[in-house]
Amino acid sequence: MLPFSLVFKPGASVHEQVVFAVKKACVAGQLLPGDPFPSVRALSQELRINPNTAHKVVATLVNEGLLEVRPGIGTSIARAPAATRAQRRALLQEETERLVVEARKLSLDLQEVIDAVHERWRKLDGGR
Amino acid sequence: MTSIIETERLTRRYGRTEAVRELTLAVPEGSIFAFVGPNGAGKTTTIKTLMNILEPSSGRASVLGVDSRKLGPDQLRQVGYVSENQELPAWMTLAQLTAYLAPLYPTWDAAFAEQLRRQLDLPPDRKLRDFSRGMRMKAALLASLAYRPRLLVLDEPFAGLDALIRYEVITGILELSEQASWSVFISSHDIHEVERLADWVGIINEGRLHLAEPVPSLLGRFRQAEVSFPEGAALPARLPADWLNTETAGHMLRFVDAGASGTADDEARIRAALPGASNVALTPMTLEAIFVTLARRFRQPAPVGDGQ
Repeated sequence: MLPFSLVFKPGASVHEQVVFAVKKACVAGQLLPGDPFPSVRALSQELRINPNTAHKVVATLVNEGLLEVRPGIGTSIARAPAATRAQRRALLQEETERLVVEARKLSLDLQEVIDAVHERWRKLDGGR
Repeated sequence: MTSIIETERLTRRYGRTEAVRELTLAVPEGSIFAFVGPNGAGKTTTIKTLMNILEPSSGRASVLGVDSRKLGPDQLRQVGYVSENQELPAWMTLAQLTAYLAPLYPTWDAAFAEQLRRQLDLPPDRKLRDFSRGMRMKAALLASLAYRPRLLVLDEPFAGLDALIRYEVITGILELSEQASWSVFISSHDIHEVERLADWVGIINEGRLHLAEPVPSLLGRFRQAEVSFPEGAALPARLPADWLNTETAGHMLRFVDAGASGTADDEARIRAALPGASNVALTPMTLEAIFVTLARRFRQPAPVGDGQ
């Protein structure tokens, strides 16, 4: 099983969606520094994506410093800096945009969206 | 970039019917190429011509750099081919079949065959005649993967298979990805299964190739557009030719923009063509949705003055 979860959405490029899912898992603490990262083959087979795409995903993540390649051992989550506040905010931006677009499609106003976020937030806290 | 398959104005007639018309195609080595089109579009005829089962009526095809009419054992040992209704010797068990095939292929990998057998969940000792349709498909796939072909050609591998078996078949195909050189050519009338797997797609209809391009570039060219209008606004009499499947509903115009660039220019272009528009929403489409759009278009006669 892959150490991060991903449900593909129509349209957006597969490469971007997988990279985003990995970043999200890192920021959310599902993937911790030093954790092993799946091989290109495992990524391709588990997600049923083209191996060339899987290869590109790993290359992108290595380039951006999220993954470390240790020859002979494999790939793992980089031990280097944990996500900064700015990085986290950048990741959130995409999700926020999606929420705002959906809310506007449904003609909700800003206050209704904020209330819904508050409610969801409280629910998660209560569940701990 | 070298091509593992190339055709040039390939044409195949049955009597007076042209099943494949002047098809020119290049499949890059290392790609998973999805060859899609409605039933009867000419996919199987194309593949049979590539495999030297049929001769071209005119034009030419080459596979692994060799003219299809000259394909011999040297090339076929590097090609895995599973036809639409693959026949297997019914009286054999799978173990007998693999034992029979192994000496025919210098690159046969018995350990790999056994690994595939377990992955594909196939019994070694039952007669192939007792296999279900899905099991036969998997057995045929195993038999054409076990010698690690450079090129795998699959004709409608998913037709009539249940979800689990489709899943296993894709897993089997991906086993080849470990090799240094491998390419896959899959025909299908249902693009859904190969959507994330393919990096190239070719669309054929009525024997003609309508497009062949990398998946990301195709996905970038198409957008579902929804444009709303204020009360009383009139639509221009003529809409751009690359707006497909236009529909109006109330104050909304819906169409597929086939000339998109994936940038902010798309909206500007639409606003320029529809000056009265109040809201323009553009959403990316799946490969399947693009295929359905094109297939619907094939069924309708092109409007007069469309330039096509």
